[in-house]
Amino acid sequence: MRRFALYGALAVIGLLISPAANAIDHNNLEFGRSLRFDDAFSIAFGERSWEVGFGLGLPKKRSARYEAHMEFKYGFAPNRDVGISVEPAAGGGTDGRSNRFDVGNVALSYFHGFQREIGNAPALAYRVDVEAPTGRDEEGVRTRLRGIMTRTLRQYDKLHLNLDVNWAAKPGSGERRSTIAAVVGYSAPVGFPRRFDTTMLAQFALAQSPMRGEGWTGTVGMGIRRQTGVRSVVDVGIESDVFAPSGARTPFRFVAGYSVGY
Amino acid sequence: MNRTQLVLAALALAASAVPQGHAGHGGMNPESRAPLEAPPSELPAWIGNKTADHIFYKPAPYNFAVYRIPKLAYDLNAVATGHAMAYEDMVTGKAATLDSKTFDRINWVLNHPPKLMPDEAAISPTMGRLYGYLEKLFDWSHILHAQTVDLMIDPRLSWQQKDAEIERLWKFYNERAPFTITGLPMNMEYLDGQPYSGHFRKNYPKVNGLFWGYHWLQTTMYDMLWHVPTETQLPQYDVVGERYHQVELYKTDRDFMPMMGESSPRFSKRFPEMANSFDNLHMLHDMVNDILTSDWIPLAEKERQIKRAMWMVLASTHKGCKPGEGEPGTLHDHRYPMGMPGMGIMKGGDEEMMYMPGMGWMRMDECGHCSIALPEGERWGATVSANGWTMLVRCLLCARDMATETPGRAIIRASTEDPKTTLVLISDEEGNWKSSLSNVVFLEVLADHPECSSWSRAFTSAEAFRKFVADNPDYKDAKPLSLAEWSQLGQPTPETYRKIDKPNPYKPAPPPPPAKGEGS
Repeated sequence: MRRFALYGALAVIGLLISPAANAIDHNNLEFGRSLRFDDAFSIAFGERSWEVGFGLGLPKKRSARYEAHMEFKYGFAPNRDVGISVEPAAGGGTDGRSNRFDVGNVALSYFHGFQREIGNAPALAYRVDVEAPTGRDEEGVRTRLRGIMTRTLRQYDKLHLNLDVNWAAKPGSGERRSTIAAVVGYSAPVGFPRRFDTTMLAQFALAQSPMRGEGWTGTVGMGIRRQTGVRSVVDVGIESDVFAPSGARTPFRFVAGYSVGY
Repeated sequence: MNRTQLVLAALALAASAVPQGHAGHGGMNPESRAPLEAPPSELPAWIGNKTADHIFYKPAPYNFAVYRIPKLAYDLNAVATGHAMAYEDMVTGKAATLDSKTFDRINWVLNHPPKLMPDEAAISPTMGRLYGYLEKLFDWSHILHAQTVDLMIDPRLSWQQKDAEIERLWKFYNERAPFTITGLPMNMEYLDGQPYSGHFRKNYPKVNGLFWGYHWLQTTMYDMLWHVPTETQLPQYDVVGERYHQVELYKTDRDFMPMMGESSPRFSKRFPEMANSFDNLHMLHDMVNDILTSDWIPLAEKERQIKRAMWMVLASTHKGCKPGEGEPGTLHDHRYPMGMPGMGIMKGGDEEMMYMPGMGWMRMDECGHCSIALPEGERWGATVSANGWTMLVRCLLCARDMATETPGRAIIRASTEDPKTTLVLISDEEGNWKSSLSNVVFLEVLADHPECSSWSRAFTSAEAFRKFVADNPDYKDAKPLSLAEWSQLGQPTPETYRKIDKPNPYKPAPPPPPAKGEGS
């Protein structure tokens, strides 16, 4: 737990001393900030961004789970970005061992937006995340391929559809080698036409359990992203599993984060 | 002519022949309208790209320094919002209420400007979905606008460093992306002479007035910020911002859009490519406004005409062309008025003279007050900003008297004996001046006006004045004038001033009355 607090503190200090207290945009939606879906747009070519977040989950019949998320992204080419992230966590288990601090897997991501919205045609993108087994009890690489679609619904609000295929090179005992998941996301500006700094998010996420023989988890969530500086965004969100395999349900999860680009 | 060109020409002719009702809405007889020209068959490949192509600012420590002048930053945020709101309404069938509902909505934002720059794409999503290629061109030029302003406001860099960085920004703009607007001067009469030209300003004068008001601010701010002490920028914006909010946003009687060379003549002389690029960008805004609101142009043809308008001002279209050259009155007319390489030829004008709205006919290489050739180099004279215009003048006397003759607050920016120090004087409504230099003194010894730039000067200190007098025995009897003494002086219009008496080309004289016996 102490190590977890240390990582969190370091992340906050890193942000505060960052020379670039600017960049990123509240309308550019990223996985984890604050909900689980991406929109179909990369960060801008030449932009660098830092994203940090903290999560608190209150699962049923298990101890509280604390998570942190740190990610650096770079728009290395038009419509493409790469990133590196880590997601340390603690708690969420049923005994002392499973509640110990876990540094988590280090993940590399690649994002490619290959079509913007044109007329009624949606914007399209895909994202690949490859996780190195740096976390506790991890063996083998985990990969996620995500297809992303963003489409305007009426005038200002947008629908986002994310479809995931997850694949574990060396699944643990009782684990599936591959799973699928989907997220339907919704975003809309808040305060138009008088305010232009806040986006509201909502989602319904469906994920296949990684454990063989178990079913699906359905999660609803709501969040907001607010521009707080010329290029910095604060986000908060809450999620609740509406159904889940026995013993895996988290009725309440809170996420807060901060993103800055330069 | 190949088959494609034939088909395109036929389509253009067919489109131009469709009056589609609303005849007279544009104040133009459809039958007298020239046919729309087709865009070239081979447009730059990026126009057809399906990707978003967002490009970030040049990384730099000065980015977002505009927030050091909060009111300017907020006003520029509102400008972006106003542009986006108007475009969204133009493309979502709300053109009929542009001058009522849209105007009111934008006006609220202009008077309650956002503290942070909004994402224009989120305010005009339909515009982006329909004309994403245009959005790229606009956005990339707006980034150049914004970064140049940030740079000029950052107090940590010397002006020598800033000038070098402005050159680098221009290079970055041109090399980083293909969607760039030419820095060559363009013939504004030609660009504004399309079959659709003038529709927006005639039919939506209030929202057009807002657009031209935004462009007034965006063109005026360059001389307000460039090569002046950074601590004077904020008080200068008190004057400029007040004028912007009280007058310039709501003017509906301008003859033409504000031009960089008119509103920021010093910056435009020094960085003509950037000045021309901004003028061409603003002209493109006008052309797009005209196309989008001309209901006699079918939807598919609007897309083609917007692509053609973009093509006309793209840097790639004018590759190999040179400033000062070109066939008069054509797309490749890159001549400019003498003394002002940062401005294209204006309606009715030529290289000798031009008509400046609000000021009349003039030569850009002459002092606006005494009509004598403007000095070049370190002793560049002064600029006067008053009543919405900014003029280059030869000397402090010309600057003071021109400001005094004009009602309202004024700003004078003047050279001193120190090439690195620009004097900034700001007056109140009663003509009381405040100086950026606490020890400023003036020389003013009446002599022949053609020599005014020698005998009417500002000095950063009495010591600098004494050194000048010692080096110039002609002025050995001159006494240093304090700001209060100098500001009380005033001279009649110099005998050298000559008014060019020609009619306003934007308002042709009414036809002569019929001779006796004619008509019924």
